[in-house]
Amino acid sequence: MWSAIDIYCRLISIRIRAQLQYRISFLLDLVAAAFATATGFGTLALVLQRFDNIAGWTLGEVAFLYGMVETAFGIMDLFFSGFDPDTFGPMVQRGRFDQLLLRPVSITLQVLGSDIALRRLSRITQGIIVLGIALALVNIRWTPAKVAYLPLVLVSLIAFFGGLFIIGSTTTFWTVKRVEAINIFTYGGSEMMAYPMHIYTKWMRHFFTYIIPAIFLNYYPALYFLDKPDPLHMPSFAPFLSPVAGFGMLAAALAFWRFGIRHYTSTGT
Amino acid sequence: MSSSIITVSNLKKYFKVSKHHRGAWGTLRNLLTREYKLVRAVDGISFEIEPGELVGYIGPNGAGKSTTIKMLTGLLVPSGGDLWVNGRVPWKARQAHVINIGAVFGQRTTLWWDLPVIESLDLLQYIYEIPPDRFRQNLDEFRGLLDLDSFLDTPVRSLSLGQRMRADLCAALLHDPMLLFLDEPTIGLDVVAKERIRQFILHINRQRGTTVILTTHDLSDVEKLCERVMIIDQGRLLFDGELDALRERFSGKRELVVYFAQEYEAVVVEGAQVVARDGTRATYQFERGTITASELIGRLSASYRIHDLQVREPEIEETVRRIYEERLLET
Repeated sequence: MWSAIDIYCRLISIRIRAQLQYRISFLLDLVAAAFATATGFGTLALVLQRFDNIAGWTLGEVAFLYGMVETAFGIMDLFFSGFDPDTFGPMVQRGRFDQLLLRPVSITLQVLGSDIALRRLSRITQGIIVLGIALALVNIRWTPAKVAYLPLVLVSLIAFFGGLFIIGSTTTFWTVKRVEAINIFTYGGSEMMAYPMHIYTKWMRHFFTYIIPAIFLNYYPALYFLDKPDPLHMPSFAPFLSPVAGFGMLAAALAFWRFGIRHYTSTGT
Repeated sequence: MSSSIITVSNLKKYFKVSKHHRGAWGTLRNLLTREYKLVRAVDGISFEIEPGELVGYIGPNGAGKSTTIKMLTGLLVPSGGDLWVNGRVPWKARQAHVINIGAVFGQRTTLWWDLPVIESLDLLQYIYEIPPDRFRQNLDEFRGLLDLDSFLDTPVRSLSLGQRMRADLCAALLHDPMLLFLDEPTIGLDVVAKERIRQFILHINRQRGTTVILTTHDLSDVEKLCERVMIIDQGRLLFDGELDALRERFSGKRELVVYFAQEYEAVVVEGAQVVARDGTRATYQFERGTITASELIGRLSASYRIHDLQVREPEIEETVRRIYEERLLET
């Protein structure tokens, strides 16, 4: 266990040093990423100022949803960079995955250690800032339970998005070309989770409830934190399902990942 | 219980390749039906390798060499048959298996692309949990043998092919593996670089008793390194035995070059044909099995005065080419 952590840290430190070698390109990456996220939220804020609210949610309340998703997705994107289908796919195609199979270390650990995209730090910072604004704008009635639950929801969101990344990467064992459809779930999913779920049509909501349980990760916990009534009339424990949904997704993804590796070793590239 | 380090029995690897139809109709058919063609990359091969052997594994492109190596290293799961390396089934016990083997693939590095060589090697110390003093010892020895010092601080991406291969060889052996797999270790290298790598492989095999299996296109690798050679073609093992035995069985015509003491009108002899003549020199070709070199020399010296002689064995390259082309080993 300790040796695994030691190896992970060594692998990661290589990736960090490699990125810092190219200082200018690194800084430009940071600035570009910050700009992209800022305009995203800026547009949303402008729309909200015009209409005052989105389906009964104020600017502060939507900012809460947005801040949670951005922060969690950013942190996931940083630590699961190796599982980003956009980098993992080419790695399989170039046959560099074989190299991992030749090392006496867990494959999952090696993939996690194969990249850490530092430019995601700007997205995380943006997320935290937006979340800070949200907490300043809305008046959450804090209880010890809420204080304890907030970080748990964040971690569950990270696990959930990490699971989506792993599923996306695993599919590249079967397809030579990266599947665009996967991005609908990861990037599209995170995008739509930044809005209150009841604004979507029924079939979309059902899809993100029963197929991909995104609704329990952000929307329902938000209802709980903001003391808002549930317009969808789910059972009252629905806001507390986020760890189940998040870690359930990650567990399912890891099972699929192991299946994918077995498939890879029986077919090669 | 046998003493073999590798036991392969009736090993098979089949791949399904989807069939592609051409033309407008073909595109539609590709979309609607999935037809597969079964490719028998490895089709029932058996062999055993004893500890300390240095085996050359040769065959034309697509013969199944790399597929076999991938199964032996645990990268591929066989479709059928049995395979034990060090008493383990490679793909079932991946981590326990790979800690005992080293592998170098000529086409791609196993090192970290943007790391200086020395840092890659350091990292391997932790990955393979090599005791620090053993690591030092090995590194010092390989630095000398492979002449690594001039590029230890260079990132792998900036190395020349020959340097990269030397770095990869060092990396594959730092953890004292019992088995070393080399897939085309001399591909694309110049004569000097090839020779250095061959010397190193020999050294490792002789001094450390490391079992080595190497695939190659370059038959001079096999001639200089291997006593035993295995030939694979179309997924089947065509030959497995000593290099000399291969020569003896399949090489066609031998040549005898004779330098006569004086110029003769005609230099005919029974059992051999003159294929070239130039002044006092004549080249004869004769079949193995019909006449021996000494018999031929005896007959010649009975009729002519001979100044000097030279017997030429056919090139191993020529022999192997004939085996592939004429299917001499077809069963």
